[in-house]
Amino acid sequence: MIETTLEDFRPMMERCSNCLACKWLPYEKIESRRFGRNCPSAAYYSFNTYSARGRFHLGQVLLDGRSEFTEQAVEAIHSCTACGSCDVSCKITRYNLEPLAHNIALKERAVELGKYYPGQKAAIDCLEAERTMLPGERHSARTDWAKDLGLKDLTREKAEYAFFAGCQYSFGSGLAEKARFWAGMLRDAGVDLGYLGKADMCCGGRAKQMGFKGAFEKQAGANIAALKAAGVTAIVTPCSDCYHAFKRQYATLGLEVKTLHVSELAADLLAEGRLKFKKSIDMTVTYHDPCHLGRLGEPYVPWDGVEKKVLNQIHTWDPPRPRYAGTFGVYDAPRSVLKAIPGLRLKEMQRVREYSWCCGAGGGCSLSSPELSSATASERLTEARSTGADAIVTACPWCLRNLEKAVDENGRQMKAVDITELVALAV
Amino acid sequence: MALEREAYRAIEDIVGKRNVSEDSSVTETYRCITSQSSAHYGPFNHQTPRPQAVVLPGSTEEVRQVIRICNRYGIQFKVASTFWAAMGYVGSDRAIQIDMVRMGGVRIDAKNMMAIVEPYAIGAVVQVEAMKFGLNCNMAGVGCSSSVLAGAAGWMGFGPSSLFMGIASENILGAEWVLPDGEILRTGSLGSDGSWFCGEGPGPSTRAVLRGWQGSTGAMGVCTRMAVRLHPWPGPKLIPTYGEVPSYKADGLENFRTYTLCFNEWEDYARAFQLFHEADVIYLGHRQFNMFGRDIKGAMLKILVDSGGQFSDLLPLMDDPYVKSENEKMKIDVQIVLAGLTERDLAYKEKAVDEVLRQTHGWKSEFMLDKEMRDFVLLYLLRLGRKNLNYTLCSSYEGNFGMSSNVFVAAPLMEEASALKRKWEQDTPHIAAVGGDSDMGSMSGIGGGGTTGWEFFVHFDAYDKDSIRGTKEFIDDSQRWMLSKGLGADMGRWNADARREDGYDYTQEEHDAIYKNLPQPAIFEYQWKVREAFNPRHLTGSYYRTKTPENVK
Repeated sequence: MIETTLEDFRPMMERCSNCLACKWLPYEKIESRRFGRNCPSAAYYSFNTYSARGRFHLGQVLLDGRSEFTEQAVEAIHSCTACGSCDVSCKITRYNLEPLAHNIALKERAVELGKYYPGQKAAIDCLEAERTMLPGERHSARTDWAKDLGLKDLTREKAEYAFFAGCQYSFGSGLAEKARFWAGMLRDAGVDLGYLGKADMCCGGRAKQMGFKGAFEKQAGANIAALKAAGVTAIVTPCSDCYHAFKRQYATLGLEVKTLHVSELAADLLAEGRLKFKKSIDMTVTYHDPCHLGRLGEPYVPWDGVEKKVLNQIHTWDPPRPRYAGTFGVYDAPRSVLKAIPGLRLKEMQRVREYSWCCGAGGGCSLSSPELSSATASERLTEARSTGADAIVTACPWCLRNLEKAVDENGRQMKAVDITELVALAV
Repeated sequence: MALEREAYRAIEDIVGKRNVSEDSSVTETYRCITSQSSAHYGPFNHQTPRPQAVVLPGSTEEVRQVIRICNRYGIQFKVASTFWAAMGYVGSDRAIQIDMVRMGGVRIDAKNMMAIVEPYAIGAVVQVEAMKFGLNCNMAGVGCSSSVLAGAAGWMGFGPSSLFMGIASENILGAEWVLPDGEILRTGSLGSDGSWFCGEGPGPSTRAVLRGWQGSTGAMGVCTRMAVRLHPWPGPKLIPTYGEVPSYKADGLENFRTYTLCFNEWEDYARAFQLFHEADVIYLGHRQFNMFGRDIKGAMLKILVDSGGQFSDLLPLMDDPYVKSENEKMKIDVQIVLAGLTERDLAYKEKAVDEVLRQTHGWKSEFMLDKEMRDFVLLYLLRLGRKNLNYTLCSSYEGNFGMSSNVFVAAPLMEEASALKRKWEQDTPHIAAVGGDSDMGSMSGIGGGGTTGWEFFVHFDAYDKDSIRGTKEFIDDSQRWMLSKGLGADMGRWNADARREDGYDYTQEEHDAIYKNLPQPAIFEYQWKVREAFNPRHLTGSYYRTKTPENVK
């Protein structure tokens, strides 16, 4: 049985052994003191309460009635960026704990009790009214990016792939053009592609990560219906948040459609020779793994089982429970795209792949905890700059936005680039 | 009970608003659940007291000022940084928790082969910073997740590397230490310009007061910086790894070897330890994977080395004829790592190991020579980054038949201790049934002619109240058996005289009653005098064991 309520996590709360591995990179991957930490909220707020271990303990305390949802409890709960780095570090040694799922269950309980922030409410209200989590944007303008592109409207025509731009690429200044670019390029490369037309709306994935389960399920229900009606075999999206929503969150609700990030499709097209880079880009870049594409981008594996003890007290699951430890996230596809660009040099940061540092925008923290979000992005820019790169590249618009407006620890900005921009320059 | 407003505001003024909290959501999460970590006095189904506030100082000066406030208002304080066990948590309702998380500095003094570390510098970061200079630090058995400073000041400090590098207490070169009354004492040769250039320096040593033999368990002020000795590291500046999460493996360490050495008899095992202590050829030595249990260690290793491994594979793997047969051959085993400074040096060390095996009728496990297994074990032992596997089987463990002594003390009793534990595994469902023997421990230091540290891991479920209770009953029985053998306090009871069963500090009267009946009570009277000199207001709890002298009463 998958845990759905906070009470369901009680065994995990009591079985977490306070080792605090959730505050660090997998130890064997630590390269320096400076960049050894993994959890943005634990690093920023310092109290153990803000770590995954602290939240397991906090969950227990709240269920036992030993603390109310105080102001600081609510801060500790909502400051989780839901990046999943604690999950990876925990699962290096533990086989029966799900820290990230518990963090989100805590958020859901807080939301049920009305314990959330005005910034979060504005986004959820906007989701309800305008089907986007970007306050100020209107649904009527959502698909303007597709105007005159000649894409199939999947509410009227059939196509193999649905191109799902997501909120940021639909509305964002400078990003809508990138959605146009990808859709046009993929179509020109021979991909049978359409978009959802008037049925296009927010995936709602961030609502789930923020603890607004009801709002997420409403969005997901509508999107699943639209995708089923469209009859597509695959979704392709340039947004890592949407990617995670379709691949992992919607899959739990019964969506059985293949999900691809544009970087995966581009890597395939490059390998097949259907996409070629003709122009050279003389630049050194470093690649930021978006959490939702990387460690959280693993394929969903259905499971309905129970705990079973063997040899008296050893915990197992019957049948074996899938372990999402970041093993099968999308790490190589964006790197292979970057490496295929003539002249471009890729230098890696210390925290990469499954143990990448979050940009700070995850879990709705740019809405609920802007200072944390900004400090987290600053930390990433500092790390990026330490590689000697000219720019930090990412494959997620939420990461891009957060990194664009940040400064490093010395107050310096760094060029943040969407992978689309480089691909567009190189073709 | 809330702190006086004046005291709280004074602390707030020192560390800043965001670095102190008395919010229930924070203070409640700074209680130790004494079934959830190896507390060496339980396990119990309860928590330590709730601190009145949690304080995060950012400098030695802030620590000093906070402690002065504690002295002024009579508030107890307890310091911890990586919170591995109950000893770091407060023991009264009139106490604050000091968390050293904001002080994590590391400076490597390569010329003098030492690291100057702050409390939140964990082993993993000290090690990687040292390796950049061709140096390495002793990693206490608690693993690289824990504070190097706390390991050196607070507890035992035996580990796989202790054979080559000494135990933690032997590696302390100097300390910056805020005494319980708020004074700052800097040990080592600091007199001229404040730099750390050698060990304790001229004059009497204060190391015994700072940590004693066992470690001061956070009960003698706050150590804010420490100079620890570093040792040669003949490897790369960063250990390269390969393999998928979670089964990372060391890549290309050509001048390192790891072997699992196996023996027919415990007598041979002990004799091999003695010869290794004499031969001085081993970089790391630890009986590591037997912590899972004699019957299951081979199967567990197969799971761990495979990134898709699951515990549901355990029983089928235990039945696998090859694993079963190889596991049987590893019944009495120890893991070692050799490090060659040159090819010739490595060849010599290999020869020495072979000669020891010849003399003790031992052999190298073929099972553990598989490349991926070998690389996994090498990374495991060199970084000691997976000590949290201690908890993985059932979620918690406590140690029984644990001691630090000569290997010839433990070895003859190993099978009897195994039989006792196996009986409990078979007669009750409360502890994991892993084959009795779940001994783990290090070859440890060379002081005194060769010491070893060992303990049996007793795996139990911290969520299962019957399992907690049953484990406590087993540890009680193990303690009775230990006493019957004249071995003294079992490891699972080492702190039983430091904290009451309800999680609170002992009163002085209770301590007096305990220690007056122990052999050599004068030791605790001497400790009383030390405490009175350094900690006159008794502000750090009852982990500092004392007995009131008769002439004072």
